[in-house]
Amino acid sequence: MAPLKYLEQEYPILDSNFQNFCATHGIFSGPFPPSNFSRIYSPILTPSFTFLGVRFAPILLLFWRCSLFDCSELKDTRRKHMKFRALHKKTEDQEDLLLHDLHVLVAFAEQQSTSERLKQGITQVLSIIDGQHQPWLNGMELLEDAQLNKHVLSTGCEGIDLLLEGGLRMGQLTELVGASSSGKTQVCLLATSNVAKKHMGGVVYLDTGNSFSPQRVIDFIRQNSDPAIDQAKHRILQKVMNRILCHSVFDIFTMFDVLHQLEVNLRSQMQKGDCQVRLLIVDSISSLVTPILGGGGSQGHALMASAGFLLKKLAHEHNLVVLVTNHTVGGEGGISKPALGESWKSIPHVRLRLSHDQGSSIYNVSVFKHPSMVSGKAARFTIYD
Amino acid sequence: MEEVVASPREWIDRNESAKTMLARVLTARPLLLLPPLHRVPLRVGNVVELVGTSPSAKTHILIQAAVSCVLPKEWNGVHYGGLDRLVMFIDLDCRFDILRLSKMLKHRINGESNGSLKKIDQEHMDFDLWNNDTKKSPTYDEELYSLCMRRFLFIRCYDSFQFLATLKTLNYRIRKEQELHGISVHILMIDSIGAFHWIDRASTFMPLGATNRKTPSLQTVSETVVQEIRKLLLLHPMLVIATKATIFGDRYSMETKRNLGKLDTSNSRSMSSTSLQLPYREYMPSVWQTFVTHRVLVGASGLEFSL
Repeated sequence: MAPLKYLEQEYPILDSNFQNFCATHGIFSGPFPPSNFSRIYSPILTPSFTFLGVRFAPILLLFWRCSLFDCSELKDTRRKHMKFRALHKKTEDQEDLLLHDLHVLVAFAEQQSTSERLKQGITQVLSIIDGQHQPWLNGMELLEDAQLNKHVLSTGCEGIDLLLEGGLRMGQLTELVGASSSGKTQVCLLATSNVAKKHMGGVVYLDTGNSFSPQRVIDFIRQNSDPAIDQAKHRILQKVMNRILCHSVFDIFTMFDVLHQLEVNLRSQMQKGDCQVRLLIVDSISSLVTPILGGGGSQGHALMASAGFLLKKLAHEHNLVVLVTNHTVGGEGGISKPALGESWKSIPHVRLRLSHDQGSSIYNVSVFKHPSMVSGKAARFTIYD
Repeated sequence: MEEVVASPREWIDRNESAKTMLARVLTARPLLLLPPLHRVPLRVGNVVELVGTSPSAKTHILIQAAVSCVLPKEWNGVHYGGLDRLVMFIDLDCRFDILRLSKMLKHRINGESNGSLKKIDQEHMDFDLWNNDTKKSPTYDEELYSLCMRRFLFIRCYDSFQFLATLKTLNYRIRKEQELHGISVHILMIDSIGAFHWIDRASTFMPLGATNRKTPSLQTVSETVVQEIRKLLLLHPMLVIATKATIFGDRYSMETKRNLGKLDTSNSRSMSSTSLQLPYREYMPSVWQTFVTHRVLVGASGLEFSL
């Protein structure tokens, strides 16, 4: 987070006179906000705004802070949380210019002797603010982006593909809700194998409950392919499995770290042509979020909302399919409802409900919520062992 | 001396009667009847809040209103009945699907043009005319369609700072777009004004340094948002429609559905009356609540559409 004096290097109009004038009105820092995430606690981040000259200062500062502690060593989540909060208080993280009324500031500037220069400074700051938000697009540009980039990836499971009119859409966050052993992990593994094999895309699998099974993925890959020479098949299999990256995450902070690292990788485009990441799976997000919800504070809900925004941002900007799983809890009248509460409901794009007939390999999937489909539509599919 | 005496008299003399004032206001700011909300008489300068639980049709209402706004009143002889204006959409929920807007616009255009073609066919009974029209229709639909799609301006914000930055530069952006298109912006839509509520609430800061520094918290962010929109409405009179999802679960599950069937619209000022059983808890700060002029409760009734 850069105080106004860092901006002086890049924009000489924001000189010390301007900074003193702003200081008299309570404005100390310039428009360089970090992401949502670090407003609650500050992990290692790269600011997402490209003013190259000034960017280095914040990055160096953040990297220095990174070396102070190592996330993986802190076992206790609460201790981690408190340490993050302590770090965060040290940073001057305040968006003074965004919270102040700039017209009032201009009126004050006119009373000063150097009013012209001050007003130019304010105009300069306004143009910096204009670069801080996403660009405005019109409907045609959005449509082109959706048609060119946001394709549909099939899951490998005909029932779900039929229900979703093709499969999972890129740029959308899809949630699978179901009781335990209703087939959520099976669907995730099936989608993993299908994307890695047919669509030749990279898969990032965040596993919270040690449920990722490479053997099962190999079974799915072998199911749909013709019997061929073993040698060639082994090489193909190796290639396909190399596209799948599995991380074990056991708390939400580790998940944020992994996702931010993924964001940095995707942005710096370190992808080889073959394994462009296409699918991101978090199995299951409810086991990461449920321990921090409740307790009266709003930190848990804020972290959940931040996680949702980060996943949606990754999905939209890097054209990924994001798949998360959620479990169910008991609701009113004994009917089970999805976990994570009311605030989570408005975060995923598509919500599907899975259930499993006891003893058979037939699964039911129904639409809970979809942007362009009525809820309640259902289908059945089979997963063979 | 005479000037001093004359001016107080002028000051006391009436400017216009109530009848002329009403006529002036109704022509300068006519009532907008947008199809999904056509039972609610709205005018520019009103701030409407659509409230509902998560899977209710709030964004659908916004899309339908946007389609009605961008369509022209008449195009190539076909009457569309639109407002012929720009729409600005700020997506805070990051869930907007452009394909839905596109489908609805196409459906509306084709519906209207097909209706008019059938009329021409009946009137003229001219086979050649019918052929020509069907050949022409894909091209003139496309032109109208791309014109309307370009009138829909969209931005997405991933946190409150981006939202504030957008609002601060919105004045300049509106002027630029008005020059580009030649028509004014009529509706500002905000999808899910409560999207950053939890994040803003959790980020309370200790004030460092001077005490006259504004710390970003839920209160200051909401105040700045309301202030910016108010200033914007003074310069560019528009209708503001914001959706809001209910965050706290409703505890009156069965009564909710029955009540939503009866409730149409209600003014935010009458919220304190105990006769209105609100099925949700209000979580937006009071500065926003007082800014809203119309509140519309939206919910699925299951049997019939109720707004």
